[in-house]
Amino acid sequence: MVNLQKRVEGWPHVRGRYLSSSEERPASLQPFEGTHRAAEEVSKKRLVIKPPTAEREYLAAACGSRLSSICLTTGEVASTWTANGETGETSGKEKLADTGEDADGPPAKKQKTAASSATGAPNIIKLTSSSDGRHAVAVTDDKNVRVFEVHDDGKLVELTQRAMPKRPCAIQVLPDNSTILCGDKFGDVYGLPLLPELQPEAQERATIESPAMTPSNETKASFKPSATTQTVHTKRNLKSLESQMKQKNLTPKTKQPLAFEHKLLLGHVSMLTDLTYASCHVDGKERGYIITADRDEHIRLSRAPPQSHIIEGYCLGHTQFVSKILAIPSTNLLVSGGGDEWIGVWDWPSSTLRWKVESFGDSFRQAQGDSLAPPIAVSGIWLVPADLDGNVEGVVIVACEKMSVLAYCPVSELRDCAPGRQPRWSFERFDHTILEVVATGSMVVVSFDARAQDQQRLKAYELRITRDEQNVHSVTSRAAKHTQALLDKANGTTSETVSDKALDDMFYGIAKLCKRPRDEAAVEEAEEEAADAAD
Amino acid sequence: MDWSQHYPAFATQTDSGPEQNGSATATAASKTVTADVTIADIGCGYGGLLFALAPKHPSTLLLGLEIRSSVTTFVHEKILALRSQPPTLSDHNYTNISVLRANTMKFLPNLFSAGQLHKIFLCFPDPHFKARKHKARIVSPTLCSEYAYVLAPGGKVYTITDVEDLHLWMVEHLSGHASFARVGLEEVEGDECVGVMRRETEEGKKVERNGGRKFVAVFRRLEDPPWP
Repeated sequence: MVNLQKRVEGWPHVRGRYLSSSEERPASLQPFEGTHRAAEEVSKKRLVIKPPTAEREYLAAACGSRLSSICLTTGEVASTWTANGETGETSGKEKLADTGEDADGPPAKKQKTAASSATGAPNIIKLTSSSDGRHAVAVTDDKNVRVFEVHDDGKLVELTQRAMPKRPCAIQVLPDNSTILCGDKFGDVYGLPLLPELQPEAQERATIESPAMTPSNETKASFKPSATTQTVHTKRNLKSLESQMKQKNLTPKTKQPLAFEHKLLLGHVSMLTDLTYASCHVDGKERGYIITADRDEHIRLSRAPPQSHIIEGYCLGHTQFVSKILAIPSTNLLVSGGGDEWIGVWDWPSSTLRWKVESFGDSFRQAQGDSLAPPIAVSGIWLVPADLDGNVEGVVIVACEKMSVLAYCPVSELRDCAPGRQPRWSFERFDHTILEVVATGSMVVVSFDARAQDQQRLKAYELRITRDEQNVHSVTSRAAKHTQALLDKANGTTSETVSDKALDDMFYGIAKLCKRPRDEAAVEEAEEEAADAAD
Repeated sequence: MDWSQHYPAFATQTDSGPEQNGSATATAASKTVTADVTIADIGCGYGGLLFALAPKHPSTLLLGLEIRSSVTTFVHEKILALRSQPPTLSDHNYTNISVLRANTMKFLPNLFSAGQLHKIFLCFPDPHFKARKHKARIVSPTLCSEYAYVLAPGGKVYTITDVEDLHLWMVEHLSGHASFARVGLEEVEGDECVGVMRRETEEGKKVERNGGRKFVAVFRRLEDPPWP
């Protein structure tokens, strides 16, 4: 398979989700070289993997609690791994009798998915890969971050699982291929070594003393309430002080420190929705950044570790949650989307909004043929390759939740569009709701929410950019037959019995990030005023 | 953010429109006043510190931030009342202070641009005694980064509390943050803002009455190190 990625400017940087196995680790940070692609998963997201020494590329695909690697040369499902939750921290109460699941067998098992997650196998909710393609990282909804090694034959072997304190919402492996960035529901971003020193056996809780993430660990011998009768309190404070005094012999519950190496890099006081590593060149030197987005309209630029405590700026302008961001490599462009009816295109190092792509939501609804559809909630922004007169050119793709439309815009259009003009986007409707998009070489694999038994959930396309006489471009897709034939084996492998509601819950959570107006403020005020009234 | 609504005496044009801009989401870019806010009192409560500092910094803009809307309204009305007093009653007209209802833990960077502030006051913040609620404290490792962002190098964070544990917590996290260093005792005691903070805040007076202790700590914003 020809590796076309190198020819696309900066393309392999696409939020690195390719895996490859074997091959020694690059000694230096060369994140943008090499032949990897990753695909993403999520219950039905897929990820591509290619061991550099092996000739084959693999697509990693998550489906419920199952993670498969699909060979893109033969179409065989090379390996299937299933989360069984047996060592899980939270869902370990009952084990399901899904013991027969073997990595090599044809994975035609019934899967337990969201509906049964309370009692059974945790679902995979995030999937990514290191940029060298040797490791895949999955997050399951029991808050575990799981690292897989990709073998030459495409086999995925789970190396570690680490239970995070809060549910991870965004994850990426830094280009050094040794650090995982993990953003969580509480807005914190942790840096974890890809491969921890401690082995799982050693992680027996309560026996390990680990470096504290904040110096706040109390290991006090005896409990002393921090309030005194002299401190100024509200009635509520007083009451809790009284009850604390009553139980003064009770040692307070202290959280067990995490039993693995981790660093708190930065944090928002809001749910983190997306994060990405990006870099730009200043004075001939590369500067690395972590760009984070949250539910409260912010896009923040922080320096990359080890100076991640320094905030360099904010891209402010969204008036709704921001759910996805994409930094386009080799440019200073960042594309952002969320609950606003427009998409933002930023010059991120200067924190300036280059374009508000207006009426984006209307275009989506029009392409969908449903003018009454609710406000858009951007569910994905990806960078994929497309063909432009025989050359490879990057195209930005945007999808919105519960919509079967993709919006395309060539990177060149975003880069070269004059500030007074709006970049032109093309919209294309598909048969089913789009869940995930992944680039594999020159192809684009799209994961659909196609629930009927015989429908194709994975489809392969080639994108083509054409220009008319006025030099106005448009982007179209056509089915990639050869690749499609390969995917069909994987398409035929599942027979899940999961309720529609469970699937909806698993796939569609982004629109819920929208805060009902005043809701939160009202709660806060009520609390504050209660405290105040007691003064 | 249209600051001319807050500081009409400092507006660039005297005929600024009456449109309301109370949202905390606007960017801090537009220049509608001749000076920027450089002192912020986060969790200003009933505004005691603001009213005491205002005459001491007549050409500086001060902003109080408070999450309780009823308290914010009270402070706002008090400011308007003081401004409308005949000049004979007081030699200061309080045109340099204002108040805003805001959740600063979330929206601080929406209000101020990088390095805009010279002083941030955190006076008698909610102690959030329960360990489970420590994340909600106004000082946390990750929030310190945001304070550093809006503070100019050399700017200061002032903290005061009557809860020793909270004091230790704030010292631990601000001193432990690479962008801050604790200010020495001598300089703290020589700072008139510290005296005002001890005496003039409502909570400070209350603690005084109860015979409680007050713990003060001040931190200086350091220059950012060069990129690695």
